[in-house]
Amino acid sequence: MENLHLFGVGLGLGLIVIGAGLGIGRLAAAAAEGIARQPEAADKITGAINLPLFLLEGVAVIGEVFALLIVLMK
Amino acid sequence: MISGGEQTHGSSVVDQVGENIIHHVSNSDIQHPIVHLPHIFGIDMSVTKHVLMLWIVAVLVSVTVIIPIRRFLRKSDGVPTGMANAIESVVQFIRDSIVVPNLGPKWVNTWAPLILTFFFFILFANAIGMVPIFDLLGVFNRFVLGIPASDSHNFINGILHGGVTATGNFNVTVALATVTFFAIIIAGTKAHGFIQHWKNLVPHGLPWPVYIILIPIEIIGMFVKPFALTMRLAANMTGGHIAILAILSFMAIFAEMFQSTVTGVSLALFSIPMATAITGLEIIVVLVQAYVFTLLSAVFIGMAINVHH
Repeated sequence: MENLHLFGVGLGLGLIVIGAGLGIGRLAAAAAEGIARQPEAADKITGAINLPLFLLEGVAVIGEVFALLIVLMK
Repeated sequence: MISGGEQTHGSSVVDQVGENIIHHVSNSDIQHPIVHLPHIFGIDMSVTKHVLMLWIVAVLVSVTVIIPIRRFLRKSDGVPTGMANAIESVVQFIRDSIVVPNLGPKWVNTWAPLILTFFFFILFANAIGMVPIFDLLGVFNRFVLGIPASDSHNFINGILHGGVTATGNFNVTVALATVTFFAIIIAGTKAHGFIQHWKNLVPHGLPWPVYIILIPIEIIGMFVKPFALTMRLAANMTGGHIAILAILSFMAIFAEMFQSTVTGVSLALFSIPMATAITGLEIIVVLVQAYVFTLLSAVFIGMAINVHH
């Protein structure tokens, strides 16, 4: 039972990937749709999705760091 | 990779791989510094691997950015040539796409220098980790000069173990984010005055029970912003290197698992293209992370200046 934390890390990493993937996917889909409707606004749309995209990525990365910490620190 | 076998005799490859990868991305031991310096105020000032990389980055930024700009400023005709052209395009991109939209035209000349310094420094520090010059030096050290990996006083052995990305060290990014933290406060103070800056943290005109919840949240948020910057940069720079090394380690792991050299060598057909692809991805990550840090710093500073509650 002493390696149970590894099980949790594996599960958690999977959940992080699902969450981040869904989030980035939704952003990319919305951006693609917006640009398809209004190609001249492409620059503005890209600028607007950049910030939430990086914030989302930051949360995912922090989750991964904590997962790594669980493995390293036990 | 080269030194792992001699440091831990007897244990299996799988046990050594994890240790080796962590060794690659972490700072070198303070007990065996690269350059010995005296203690100042009880702090050991000796130079470790990442500090040496910071020095190299500082020299590189000076040579490729500061010197061409100085030379350009001395010119009388004001036409940029050579390196100054390249720098001008980057500076203009950062100013027009990051600083102006977030800080507003009034404060551009106040904060663009800080944002640009962040960008150039982080870009160089990130990118230098992708240059495998230190791994080559290690191979040269071992097989041409014949110095064993266990010699911890050798200069090249000290800087070895590849992947020397200074921004992959959390201490470096904490320092960078601390600059952003104080820049936010100074920007707010300069724009609105010291008292008004702290008042601006929460919207005014709400019923008082809301403030009991809101003020602690805003104070936590003040510290979470630089914390997120720290984690994002360091974790991204460390993560890519770990992924590359882990994929390359598959060769050793599988060769031991199946007790055959052929398996290990044939796995190279998978490992090497995969590691090359991730290296390509890392080059994008290097650029994107430098951009993200500067963008978010500009956004946070802009939030303190242009309060819209």
